[in-house]
Amino acid sequence: MRKGMSEILKLDSLTIGYMSGKDEKVLLPPLNATAFEGELIAVIGRNGIGKSTLLRTLTGLQPSLAGEIQFSGRNIRDYSRLDLAQKVGYISTEVLKVSNMSVYDLVALGRFPHTNWIGKIDGKNHELILDAIKKTGMTSISHRFVSELSDGERQKAMIARILAQDTGVMVMDEPTAFLDIGSKYEILHLMHVLSKHNKKTIIFSTHDLHMAISQSDKIWLILNDKLIEGAPEDLMLKGAFDHLFDPSPVQFNSEHGTFSFKSETRGSIYLEGSGKLRHWTERAINRLGYSTSKIKTFPYIITPAGNNKKWQIVTNNSSRDCESIYELILWLSREESLII
Amino acid sequence: MEPEKKIVAGIVLTTSKMHKVIFASLVIFLVSFLIMDIFIGSVTINPSDVIKAIFGDTGSNLEIIILKFRLPKAITALVVGMALSLSGLQMQTVFRNPMAGPYVLGISSGASLGVAFVILGFSTSLSPDSLRGLGNWVLIAASWSGAGLVMLLIMLVSTRVKDIMTILILGIMLSSGISAIVTIMQYFSNETMLKAYVIWTMGSLGNLTSSQLNILLISVLIGILMSLFSVKMLNALLLGESYALSIGLNVRFARVVIFTCTSILAGSVTAFCGPIGFIGIAVPHITRIMFKTSDHKILIPGTILTGGAVMLASDIISQLPGSNNILPVNAVTSLIGIPVVIWVIMRNRKYSDLF
Repeated sequence: MRKGMSEILKLDSLTIGYMSGKDEKVLLPPLNATAFEGELIAVIGRNGIGKSTLLRTLTGLQPSLAGEIQFSGRNIRDYSRLDLAQKVGYISTEVLKVSNMSVYDLVALGRFPHTNWIGKIDGKNHELILDAIKKTGMTSISHRFVSELSDGERQKAMIARILAQDTGVMVMDEPTAFLDIGSKYEILHLMHVLSKHNKKTIIFSTHDLHMAISQSDKIWLILNDKLIEGAPEDLMLKGAFDHLFDPSPVQFNSEHGTFSFKSETRGSIYLEGSGKLRHWTERAINRLGYSTSKIKTFPYIITPAGNNKKWQIVTNNSSRDCESIYELILWLSREESLII
Repeated sequence: MEPEKKIVAGIVLTTSKMHKVIFASLVIFLVSFLIMDIFIGSVTINPSDVIKAIFGDTGSNLEIIILKFRLPKAITALVVGMALSLSGLQMQTVFRNPMAGPYVLGISSGASLGVAFVILGFSTSLSPDSLRGLGNWVLIAASWSGAGLVMLLIMLVSTRVKDIMTILILGIMLSSGISAIVTIMQYFSNETMLKAYVIWTMGSLGNLTSSQLNILLISVLIGILMSLFSVKMLNALLLGESYALSIGLNVRFARVVIFTCTSILAGSVTAFCGPIGFIGIAVPHITRIMFKTSDHKILIPGTILTGGAVMLASDIISQLPGSNNILPVNAVTSLIGIPVVIWVIMRNRKYSDLF
């Protein structure tokens, strides 16, 4: 356990799944994992493996089949619905279908577990709602209707809502799905800030491995037979992601943290040059299915350097200039037979 | 909240002031319609005579007309409008369906099945006179159970099927099925009972005995009190079941409370006034358009006031002021409600599944 940080959530041999009739449909073998205060945790796994079910079970929206979930050391089953709502908040991929609901009203619903029988918003609640709206940068549009917001704005409003709910743990099921790149990083940045400055533990599922690896403190990697947890870099070094996408043709390269299609290497080619130009030329060559060789054999490629602004392809009897990488690739595809 | 300012007749208003203005105007409309409803009828009565009849004790024919006919009818219209609209609002929120309403989803049909059982089914064992005394409670209880049963059925299906149109078609099928059962019962019932039932189905605000009116008033009052208790739950349910659970609502308990409330409201009205269409579905939409909010703290009182006013207006129209003819009130409410429903369906596609 880390010093100075308290363990806020613990999964102990948790079995998740559904009851269909009298039969239990177990999705995964028993899972063990922990979450500490202020951690940003990405839940990774292939489609349909049970990420959403895990998140719903964590939030108490569906019962677990066996094992334990502990919030602050206390079993989730010992919490009343109202008490649990003060421990953990939830955002799903479900799009709200409400007209005439302002952002303020939506965020105000986050105060549900803290207000009286009729849901009266008094001064203190009002302050907390305004604060949540401010932290998510929604102040200027707090009177707008939720149905009129863009996808990114709506997601921010939803985050403001669980912020107002004032829970230590926030569970988000694919918070960045459907968002364009800009909004995606805006939401991710917001999640980062909330976990670091407001000490919120955020557990989110995502399909964006790149994003998960670069931004999260910890990853819960769900494989068919187990859950592996650890810092993204630890998992990378263990090669944990290598078989994540089996049997699909996608491969994760743990050295670079990039994806590629598994394909037969078609041959290798020598590349002369350095720096940025070499890097992108190599990428293009790799994309075609060639590796870069260490031995200088014909044909080889010289990347632009110094006065030479062109790519040069050198074969055993001639040399040829290319204006762009595109032109270079065209030649490589045409003259496939020349390359070993 | 940054107060959103609206300009009405050159005056800048914040949202909450705006709501106060609308509430005040609704109360004014309601009271004026109530007065008009008492004053207007097939016999023209001098306003001073009306006041005399209500507060004095002249014993004249006018007094009988006012106290025995017009006043009870106006109060019935008021209560019926309030109850049906409120039950419509609750159903739209619980089902998260803009097309929900007691009439459209077959809840009124369910209630009428209960009524048919009492009026037609027991015709051999119960004389029409015995329906007068304790019979009123039997009638209303049968109506509640019928309404509750259909509510339950629709709810069971709607947890599995999310599609609004499917639920709507189910409601229509249920209504048709129920009317088929009622037709069979009609076939085997005697003439007097048949006539009593047919007249009941036409819907009327003016046929209540004073004891029936009392029962209706008590039931609707209970329904309204329960609805105030359900404000917070309804607001949470706007978010859908998962979110409602996640913010701490006991969804099952909330549904039981709201269903009971809705069945009491819709069932009581249907028991004594017959199935009255389109008020329950249309008024909540009119209220939302006026108040531009989804908060039930505003919507519930707003819908109650609007419902009362709309029903009183329908009753005034049904008397065809200046003539001796009276239209069936059901026809008037349909003509008022259907355009609203069509407008809701025809709205921008993006918002068609919002409520």
